[in-house]
Amino acid sequence: MSAADRARTVLTRLVEASATERVLISTAALVLSILIGTAIVLVAGRMTTCAATDAVYYLGTGFCYDPVVVFDRLFLGALGEPFSGNWSPDGQFAVTLRETTLLVFTGLSVAVAFRAGIFNIGPQVQMVVGAMATAVAVLWASSFVSGALGTVLLIPFGVLVGAVFGGLYGTLPGLLKAYADANEVITTIMLNFIATGVTLYLVSGPFKDPGSAANQTVPLPEFARFPSLLFGSRQDFSLVAFAIGILAIGGLYYVIEHTAFGYDVRTSGIQPEAAEYGGVDAAKTVVASLTLSGALGGVAGAMYVMMILGTFQTGLPSYGFDGITVSILAGNNPLGVGVAALLFGILKSGTTVVQFATDVPPQLVGVLRGLIILFVAMPEFFRLLGRRLSPSGPERNPVATDGGRREGETDE
Amino acid sequence: MATAVHLEEITKRFPGVVANDDVDLEVERGTVHALLGENGAGKTTLMNVLYGLYEPTSGRVRLDDEVKSFDSPRDAIDAGVGMIHQHFMLVDPMTVTENITLGNEPRKWGGLAVDREAAREAVVELSARYGFDVDPDAPVEDVSVGEQQRVEILKALYRGADVLILDEPTAVLTPQEVEELFGVIEELTAQGKTIIFITHKLGEAMRAADEITVLRDGRKVGTVAADATTREELAELMVGREVLLDVDREPAQAGEVVASAADIVVEDERGVRAVDDVSFEVRAGEILGIAGVDGNGQAPLVEALTGIETPDAGEIRFLDEDVTSASRRERIASGMAYIPEDRQERGLVMDFGLIENALLGSQHSQEFGPGGRIDWPATREHAEAIIDEYDVRPPDPEAGAESLSGGNQQKFIVGREFERDPKLVVASHPTRGVDVGSIEFIHERLLELRRQGVAVLLVSSKLEEVQGLSDRLAVMYEGEFSGVVDPADTTEEELGLLMAGEQPDSVDERIDSGTEQTAAADATGGEGA
Repeated sequence: MSAADRARTVLTRLVEASATERVLISTAALVLSILIGTAIVLVAGRMTTCAATDAVYYLGTGFCYDPVVVFDRLFLGALGEPFSGNWSPDGQFAVTLRETTLLVFTGLSVAVAFRAGIFNIGPQVQMVVGAMATAVAVLWASSFVSGALGTVLLIPFGVLVGAVFGGLYGTLPGLLKAYADANEVITTIMLNFIATGVTLYLVSGPFKDPGSAANQTVPLPEFARFPSLLFGSRQDFSLVAFAIGILAIGGLYYVIEHTAFGYDVRTSGIQPEAAEYGGVDAAKTVVASLTLSGALGGVAGAMYVMMILGTFQTGLPSYGFDGITVSILAGNNPLGVGVAALLFGILKSGTTVVQFATDVPPQLVGVLRGLIILFVAMPEFFRLLGRRLSPSGPERNPVATDGGRREGETDE
Repeated sequence: MATAVHLEEITKRFPGVVANDDVDLEVERGTVHALLGENGAGKTTLMNVLYGLYEPTSGRVRLDDEVKSFDSPRDAIDAGVGMIHQHFMLVDPMTVTENITLGNEPRKWGGLAVDREAAREAVVELSARYGFDVDPDAPVEDVSVGEQQRVEILKALYRGADVLILDEPTAVLTPQEVEELFGVIEELTAQGKTIIFITHKLGEAMRAADEITVLRDGRKVGTVAADATTREELAELMVGREVLLDVDREPAQAGEVVASAADIVVEDERGVRAVDDVSFEVRAGEILGIAGVDGNGQAPLVEALTGIETPDAGEIRFLDEDVTSASRRERIASGMAYIPEDRQERGLVMDFGLIENALLGSQHSQEFGPGGRIDWPATREHAEAIIDEYDVRPPDPEAGAESLSGGNQQKFIVGREFERDPKLVVASHPTRGVDVGSIEFIHERLLELRRQGVAVLLVSSKLEEVQGLSDRLAVMYEGEFSGVVDPADTTEEELGLLMAGEQPDSVDERIDSGTEQTAAADATGGEGA
């Protein structure tokens, strides 16, 4: 089988995996959530007071908020006005991709643990640990190199450091679970507090930037940050980081679907007894998958430091927790994580646009975001709805229950 | 005589599946009617229709010539139909009396309190009327399985059942308890109750029933009087062709010792010895059978041998090496195949397709996972070969494991394990819940392996199976071997006594007791060599 043939098989399989169904379901979810969101925006707009000139009128009734504008801003704004004719790579679209990039890593981090049947709450803290380690290590290393060579050397170095430290902070709950039977939800939450405390101490003490009032490290030199390539530097987005994200998606997909380790992970995630029977070392698989999960979270931290902030500061945004939603939205499938991260990225970046463009309170925009995620996350509901509405529709292959033969099957 | 139950043209469809197709069933009052068929023939579905759990797609249920329609089991119970499920629905810590009267307790103080005295009296009276031997005050968890079953029957009778449905009532009983159950059934019918019992065992149907209705593929293939038929005829009706009930096999050509266990102890989570000092050897080219009622330590013994659990004491040797603490993966790699007892928990990953299931256990092998990278095309070919060779249906490697019937799932596991080129096959209940056609097929394959010089350890609670296939037969009771016998030389009754932990006099001479079991095993194993 040539590489091209193989690629084609993969593609067909992807397409055939009830692609129509998935697209239909996602579209239905989006439409329904927008309809309900519209109603909420209208009602909320009715309950607020505003100047008559600011109001919009539907069916002779005045509303303070215009749902059309809200959703227009939320989506088109996040995409950087694609239809306005003056789309620029340096605009809001870069912000969307920036958010997407980080969510890809935290999403993958949660997904790989989930596939092994482990609920890793820890990507947030693994990101913090990775970010701190990267900032300190890259600062130290940046005194030896500089210029373009510095960029070429320090970027991979920083990402690696983030992965290693994030990974180690994932190994810890892994070991605790595998050998001391400690519940990973508890341990990752507890380790959260420890890491937050320790990083706060480090960054307010030994590693504090003496020239700054904030608890942060000395800023990284410009050459030690992700180059902005094509997209300009205004929005702190780097195509390089995005490309690494795409590679990570592909890489994790390959690991899960095409390696013995991935097979072990999936088997122990779905049916631990069968995995045990099949010679899977449960303890090793737990430790390895949590380490990998932590490493991905750590890379998110490295990216945050080297692409967005340029320094390490306490109180990182909650990419790690958002990663849980992203992964669930994606059904814990690495390829799906890419799509879910993009949707989430659009919603995150669109929210700020809505706040700039309208008087709609941010809390209300949060409700709209939540609605969209809620509906997209419950495909079963739409499958059920679809089946109700079309009794003659394509039925899924039923499971042969005890006591029967398939209809149309001939007797032997 | 009057017809107590009349099912007319019952059809029950599930999406895409016809579980019952135009089935007629007439049962006379005061008789025992066996519903015989392979797994998946539609027996339980039909009875669930009668018990109100399913609404039939078409057809009518008549009781005493009156058309009934049941929305739920409650309606069925009110109409005098009781069902005793395979798995008992009893509350373990509660007493026999409490279990029997549960939900229908006699009341006092205007319905505010349970009248325990009246309840107890009712139970005592009921069990006396049918000659049941139950202790009304014993907690259910302390009484034997056979007694629990009688409690279930009493519960149905207490609720006023005239028609009793028993679903595979003998599956959990020792041979002696089965005899007791048949006595109970006789007593019930003598007092006018009507019994329908579901079974896939020919002998039981012949032994206990007046009439036998055979179902196959959801259809009724015939109703015969028990005293006017033969086992061969029934088997033929069940599978639609003649089945070899007796296994043809040549004497064992036992060779080297392939695997051995010495003084194995496995403790359960309470610290009780589930396996208590068991020793045995299995040689190349022989089948060592382990018989016994489920739950007497067979499962932990097998798990210790195959590397799922580590024994608390003792030594396991495989191919002249000490593998007591070797991992499961190492044991698979060195040629130990294992057909697990629970195919849906362990043997197959239910959410995977057959291709991915063909890989289970071989994911790290040179053949399918060289260098940690899975060779999916080769795995697919392997799955197709298993499907082809072992007649797995539907012959679709992409099919999900859960969409296959039990027999086909088992054939796939058997195929996967046998194709490992094993030195030792550990087969735990390989034909449990499998249809007659597949049973025969699996038996032939096991004998084929034996011919090829593979050592086989066969654990089964089916006496016919272990007796027919084994060269030597160990009987396990409460974690120990109560005897190791030559199966050709031992009667079912003697085995039944061993399974109940008793020593039949006639067998005593042929077995050694205690720690000499290995020696005994050697002696009998040596005969064929």
